[in-house]
Amino acid sequence: MNWLPYSVSSRLPRLSLVAYMVAFFVFLLGPIFIVVAISFTTTEFVAFPPKGFTWRWYERFFDYEPFVNSFIVSVELAVATALLGGFIGIPAALAVVRGRVPFADSIMTFLLSPLSMPLIVIGFSLLFFLSALGLGVSFLSLLIAHTVISVPYIVRTVAGVYRSISPDYEETAAVLGANRIQIFFYITLPMIKPGIFAGMLFAMLISIDNLPISFFFGSYETNTLPVVMLSYLEHQFDPSVAAASSIQLVVAVIGLFIVERIYGLDAMAPAT
Amino acid sequence: MSNTTSATPSAPLRRTRGFAGAVSPWWILLAGAFLVFFFVAPIANNLLNTDNLATLAERNPPSFYYKKLLTDAYYLKIVGVTVALSVGVTLICVLVGYPVALYLVRYAGRWSGLVIFLLIAPLLTSIIMRTFGWRVIFARRGILNDFLLSIDMLERPIMFLNGPGSVVVGLVHVLVPFMVLSIASVLRSIDPQIEESARILGANRFQTFLRVTFPLSLDGIGTGFIIVFLLANGSFVTLLLLGGGELRTLPLLIYQQFTISRDFQFAAAMSNVLLAIAVGCLYLQLRLIRRKGVKG
Repeated sequence: MNWLPYSVSSRLPRLSLVAYMVAFFVFLLGPIFIVVAISFTTTEFVAFPPKGFTWRWYERFFDYEPFVNSFIVSVELAVATALLGGFIGIPAALAVVRGRVPFADSIMTFLLSPLSMPLIVIGFSLLFFLSALGLGVSFLSLLIAHTVISVPYIVRTVAGVYRSISPDYEETAAVLGANRIQIFFYITLPMIKPGIFAGMLFAMLISIDNLPISFFFGSYETNTLPVVMLSYLEHQFDPSVAAASSIQLVVAVIGLFIVERIYGLDAMAPAT
Repeated sequence: MSNTTSATPSAPLRRTRGFAGAVSPWWILLAGAFLVFFFVAPIANNLLNTDNLATLAERNPPSFYYKKLLTDAYYLKIVGVTVALSVGVTLICVLVGYPVALYLVRYAGRWSGLVIFLLIAPLLTSIIMRTFGWRVIFARRGILNDFLLSIDMLERPIMFLNGPGSVVVGLVHVLVPFMVLSIASVLRSIDPQIEESARILGANRFQTFLRVTFPLSLDGIGTGFIIVFLLANGSFVTLLLLGGGELRTLPLLIYQQFTISRDFQFAAAMSNVLLAIAVGCLYLQLRLIRRKGVKG
C-alpha cells in the first residue's frame, strides 16, 4: 500500500470495516424498511417503491376479523406467558444463584435446555401430550407451551443480574435485624428488578413472534397473529400483511424503547 | 453469552459459602417441576409412545417409519439437506458476522450503543415480516430483478425465489445477529493489552489478528455456531415462504405432514430424528468444551 499517503493507508482497514458495517446494516434492515414502505402503497398489489400514501391497509387490518381476534389472543397470551414464566422462573433463578441448591450447575443447564430443542419438536410433542391429558387445543395449552420456551429467557436474565450483585447487601440487612421476608422485598427484589423487567419483556416478545409452536395449537379461538398471517400469506400476497407486520414492529419498538429509557439496553443483552 | 451484566460471565455457578440472602433452595421446585412435566415428559412420551398416537393415516409400527427415514433414498436426502443447510448457513453467519463483532468491540466506541440497538431491533420484528421483505426483493418483477435489468446485467428476469439461494439468504438474515452477539461477548473479554504486546513484539496488524485475536475468539464462534445451527435446524417458515417447497428439510416435512397428509406417526418419527440431530450437536459442544478445558 505504498502508493497511498500514510494517513490514508493507516486508516484503510478501519475505513473498509466502516464500509462493511454500512453494507451489513443495509442487508439487515433493508427488508424491514421495504415491508414498512409497502404497507402505505395505494396499489392493490405489493409494490415497491410504493405508490402514493394511504392508511387503507391498516384499516383493512382492523376490519379483517381474523387479524384482530388473533392479535388480541397474541397480546393476552404474551402477557399471561410473561406472568406465569416470571412466577416460576424468577424464584428458580434466585435459588440457583444463591440458594445453596445442590448441583446448581446442572440445574441451570436443565432450566435453559428448552432453548436447545427445535421448537417444532417441542410443539409437536406437547400437542399430543396435552391432548392425552384432555387439554387439547386451548388457550391453556398455548400458555403452557409458551411458558416452557420463555422460562429460559427469564431465568437467564434474572440470574445474570443477581449474580452481578454482591451478597453483602443482603447480609448487611440481616446483620441489622431484617428478617428474610424483609430482606427479600426491600433488598433483593429492588436490586434484581432490571433483570425481571428485561426477562419478562423478552418472554413477551418471544411469545408474540412464535410460530413453530403456536401453529400446532391453532383453532378459531386460539389462532395467534403469526399463525393467521402465515395462512393469509399462503393464499394471498397483498399489502395488508405488510401493515400487520408493521403494527407488530411498532409494539416491539415501543417495548424496547421503554427498556432503554428505564434500564438501558444492556439489561436485555443476557436474554439474547 | 451474558457478558454485559455479570462480572464473571462464563465462570460456573458456585454455591456461595457465605450468606444465602432470603433465598431458599426450594424455590427451584416450581420451575423444575413445570419443565419436567411439560418439557421432558412430552418429549419422552413422543420418543417412547409413537405407537399410540392418534393418527388419521394408516397405522404402522414405529420401526417402519425410522426405516423409511433412514434407508429410503428420498427421505435420507431430506435428512442430509437438513444438516447441510444448517451447517452452510452457520458458516456463512460466521463469515458475515465476525467483522461486525470486531467493529462493535474494537472500533465502534461511542457508536456501540447504536450498533447493539440496530442488531437487536430486527430480532423484535416478526420472522414473517422479514421473509415477506425478501419475497419482495427476490420476486420475478421484484427489486433485484428490476435493478439487474436496469444495469443490463440481465436480459430477462431470473427466478430467485423458490430455490436454495433465497432460503440461505433469508436464514442468514434471521440468524446472523445471534452469531454477532456471541462473538462480540467473547471478543469483549479479551484483554487489549495482549494484542498490544503482540504489536510491540513486532507483529503487524494482520499477524496480530490472525495469531492472537482470532484464536482467542474461537470460544465465541463455537457458542454462536451451536446457537445458529440449532435455530437453523428447526426453522421452517423461511423454507415455506422463500423455498416454495423446492428445498425440503425435516421441519418443513413435519409441518406438511401435520397440515396436509396428517400422518402423525410419521411426523413423530421425523421429530425424533430432528431431536437426535440437535442432541448430537449439543454433545459435540460438550466435547469441545471439555477438550478446551484439558488444553487450557
